[in-house]
Amino acid sequence: MKRTHIVLLVLVAAAVCVIVSMFGDFSTYETFASAKNEAGKEFHVMGYLDKVRGVQYDPQVDPNHCTFYVKDKAGNQSKVIFNGAKPTDIEKSEQIVMTGSMQNGTFHCRQIQMKCPSKYKTDQVAIGNAG
Amino acid sequence: MDTQFIGEHLGPGKLGHFFVVFTFVTALFSCFSYWRAAQTENDIAGGSNTWLRLGRNGFVLHTASIVGIFGVLYYIISNHLFEYHYAWRHSDLSLPPKYLLSCFWEGQEGSFLLWTIWDAVLGMVVIFTAKKLESRVMTIIAMVQIALASMLLGLYFGQDVKIGSMPFILLRDVMSNAPIFSQPNYMSFIKDGNGLNVLLQNYWMVIHPPVLFLGFASTIVPFAYTIAALWKRDYQQWVRPALIWSLFSGAVLGTGIMMGGAWAYESLNFGGYWAWDPVENASLVPWLTLVAGLHTLIVYKSTGRSLIMTVILYIITYSLVWYSTFLTRTGILGDTSVHAFTDEGKSLTWHLVIVIGVLLILSIGMLMKRWKELPRVKTEESVNSREFWIFIGSFVLLLAAVQIIITTSIPVWAPLYKSITGKDIAPPTNIVQHYNSIQVWVASIITLLTATVLYLRFKTSDNKVVLKRLGITGVIALALALFIGITQKITSPQYILMLFGCSYTVVGMIYYAITVQKAKLKKLGASTSHLGFGVLLLGVLLSSYNKEVLSVNTAGFMMDFGKKTDAENAKESAENIIFYKNIPVAMGDYLVTYKGDSLSETDPRTFYKVHYERRDSAKHQIKESFNLYPDAFVNPKGMQSGLSANPASKHYLTKDIFTYVSAAVDPKKREDTAQFKSNIVKEGDTIYTNSGYMIFRGLNTQVNDPRYAQQPGDVAVNANLDLYDLDGLVTTLKPIYFIRDQYAYQVTDTAKSMDLYVRLENIIPDTKSVEIKVKQPDPKDDYIVMKALIFPYINLVWLGVIIMALGFLLSMTNRITKKEKAKFTGDYPFTK
Repeated sequence: MKRTHIVLLVLVAAAVCVIVSMFGDFSTYETFASAKNEAGKEFHVMGYLDKVRGVQYDPQVDPNHCTFYVKDKAGNQSKVIFNGAKPTDIEKSEQIVMTGSMQNGTFHCRQIQMKCPSKYKTDQVAIGNAG
Repeated sequence: MDTQFIGEHLGPGKLGHFFVVFTFVTALFSCFSYWRAAQTENDIAGGSNTWLRLGRNGFVLHTASIVGIFGVLYYIISNHLFEYHYAWRHSDLSLPPKYLLSCFWEGQEGSFLLWTIWDAVLGMVVIFTAKKLESRVMTIIAMVQIALASMLLGLYFGQDVKIGSMPFILLRDVMSNAPIFSQPNYMSFIKDGNGLNVLLQNYWMVIHPPVLFLGFASTIVPFAYTIAALWKRDYQQWVRPALIWSLFSGAVLGTGIMMGGAWAYESLNFGGYWAWDPVENASLVPWLTLVAGLHTLIVYKSTGRSLIMTVILYIITYSLVWYSTFLTRTGILGDTSVHAFTDEGKSLTWHLVIVIGVLLILSIGMLMKRWKELPRVKTEESVNSREFWIFIGSFVLLLAAVQIIITTSIPVWAPLYKSITGKDIAPPTNIVQHYNSIQVWVASIITLLTATVLYLRFKTSDNKVVLKRLGITGVIALALALFIGITQKITSPQYILMLFGCSYTVVGMIYYAITVQKAKLKKLGASTSHLGFGVLLLGVLLSSYNKEVLSVNTAGFMMDFGKKTDAENAKESAENIIFYKNIPVAMGDYLVTYKGDSLSETDPRTFYKVHYERRDSAKHQIKESFNLYPDAFVNPKGMQSGLSANPASKHYLTKDIFTYVSAAVDPKKREDTAQFKSNIVKEGDTIYTNSGYMIFRGLNTQVNDPRYAQQPGDVAVNANLDLYDLDGLVTTLKPIYFIRDQYAYQVTDTAKSMDLYVRLENIIPDTKSVEIKVKQPDPKDDYIVMKALIFPYINLVWLGVIIMALGFLLSMTNRITKKEKAKFTGDYPFTK
């Protein structure tokens, strides 16, 4: 066996270890109910904005506080708090993906991604910090 | 009966459609002819090159036809022929002419068109330069052109199977179900197009896509040379052109990627130039493998080793270019990307899968067929040889690419994973930290290898000389790293290692260029590009590690760079600050005031004027003051209530202050609700305003004011009101009161900078007082919510990219002009 082959093997082994350990980093898509089971841990939750209840955001009170209601894929609704400015066009979103955790029955999200039906083919993302 | 439609311009579309079909046919023809040319090359002694000439002519026609498509589409967009779906969807009447070209890359058809054009142009260059390899290289290029041209065909087979998407399709055909299109005069209702996505209305978006696509397209050339070499069993001729073209690709693709970063930095508000977004990753990964292949090719050229590795890397690179198109264009990334473009549905997905499949089968098949006879070197590399370490470095780059592509492709393999484990896998919740924590090690290894490798020589090196140079470089680099690390407060071990790696590369390249290469321009290609790489990584490290959110007013807070947990990040929840008009807010070292917004007739954007002031706290002197104008499209077309913000930055040599508006009051909706309020004052009394106060200094009967023209019999007075703000006296306001023909009149005075209106309403002689009416809009009616970040040393990022690209181009020109010595003449102990 050549020296290069040994080095190759070592590098591949190291890479495999890194990649396997990467899986611990990967998150999962959950529902509000399953996120509640592990409150405080961050997940992705996919759902639909409740457009009837609307989005509450008053920058004059707190420019980093935006609340709304989302129905997840299982059909359960939960209040969502986003610690940032109101994501642009969230009212028009078809579907939103939130990254955050369940805390005391409300979903605190740090990041929101939206799919919009318009010609805005670029999906939109808003990033805040969970409070 | 067919309806006769009024007001349509069908001519350009028909011409365009003809060009589309002709492009496809000529690609087929050229590919076939070149293939025949390659097959019959040795048939007749002396050679007939009929097939070769046919192939060339076919390709020239093909290129002309693509230019035709481009011309027609440009004509349609610039003449606003909205009966064409492409023009309607991607442009409108108000679009500034400079963004006409951007319409091309907003849509899928336009993007493929751009790619096809570049490929054709590169193909023409190859025709003139490839010499003996022309027939084979051009067969591959023409074959890819068939695939690209088929993307524009828009052929339907039955209801469900659609091949490609034709840019000249009519609006009424796309939306044939809408009732409006049954009316012959439907064109009179379609007055304007849908418009170009406002995010693309940015100068970076005019130049970034063509450069990036040229970079993508150019990777075909080294790939085609690789396949041609295998095909012809000629493992020598291809090396020089493949090397030159790889250098070209490396420069252009690298520049294109970072131009995308510059665009993101200038016009997107995710706050930075790089977010490890899948679309960004998809373009970075082929660059990594291309650079790896470039290095192993140099090894092969100098020592005859690493041929198989080189071939594999070029095949991977070109497959990844198509794979990245697959990721970004089919919508498969869906939920995970900021800018996954379209959801063209299944037809495009299958189309791309087939293209990638054919490319892979063809190239892997070719490699397998030649596997046994590929020249190999039997002996071992010595540990102190350059080739040994280049090989390792290239392999590390490949592994880095593998890691990035696995995480990026989560949406692709998630369904498979779900069927095995039952879990809906998602990307890491903190994606930036995920990549950073792994790639920091890659960056460290690569930067540590870079300088070391250049000191070594091919085959074997003089250990003493190498160690001496390494020692000197190491000591200087350590001093530099310590200096930067301490002044920039870099504390986590892996980033300290990366910092050392970067300074090691930077110092090493400068040292090498001066002492070893004696600063001869002919030799400086490698050291220049690697110097740029080192500077770039140093800039990335410093700008990201110490990125600071200015608008939280917590200096020194570091974001998402691998050392804070989410819980710690969470504490700093307030990153947005509200600014009421004319009310200063302290932000870091700055006193920041929102001064108001402005609209212009010619620009659809709203500009927000934000004034920054830095004061010396001891002396109360203003050290520095400037205005930033972050802007936004307020309520752009297609959005009901929205704000699409563009950041504005103050650039210093050592840092950038980056601001953008995250929410604002719509200026059109803001009503003038303010009313005059009455104040009865005596001389010396004070009236408070929103941002200061006024003192009534008394009346003046000698009115001499251009706003008042005295007539005989008038009685006129004006009040003197000294207006103060926080800094002191601003002006003296002089509202006028006069009596003419027994009627009282008032002339209002204003302080525009404060939106203040003052009127002398009445004079009350009994109490020696006057009635002053003051109107000032409530500042709470006008505000913006803003976010501000500081990126330290971001200029190093841009500088590094420029140096690196220049280094690539320098290497390229040096290799083009250098007379090649006859190599591979049996110098190496090849095995058969």
